[in-house]
Amino acid sequence: MSVPALLRGVRVKQDTVRDMPVLLGPERALMLDPIGAAILDRVDGERDLDGIVVDLAAAYDAPADVIRGDVEAFLSDLADKRLLEMRT
Amino acid sequence: AWSKPSVREI
Repeated sequence: MSVPALLRGVRVKQDTVRDMPVLLGPERALMLDPIGAAILDRVDGERDLDGIVVDLAAAYDAPADVIRGDVEAFLSDLADKRLLEMRT
Repeated sequence: AWSKPSVREI
């Protein structure tokens, strides 16, 4: 089981200037698209990857295997950027 | 609809 969690000091905030969700980390900020924001809405340090994928598949009425691939790639990119960790 | 998520560094 792997549970994604944002690292300490990293959070999602609504940027009022751009009116877009932004992922804020130490000395960096990333603009999120609506899908990225939907994924991170479900990253609470409690839910595991399977639970997040099932929830998104229901919400977007899309195949779970497609969503899983996209979510894993997205989260591993954020892990590479040291904004998120995958707890096992 | 679902699409591949993306992030853009500010």
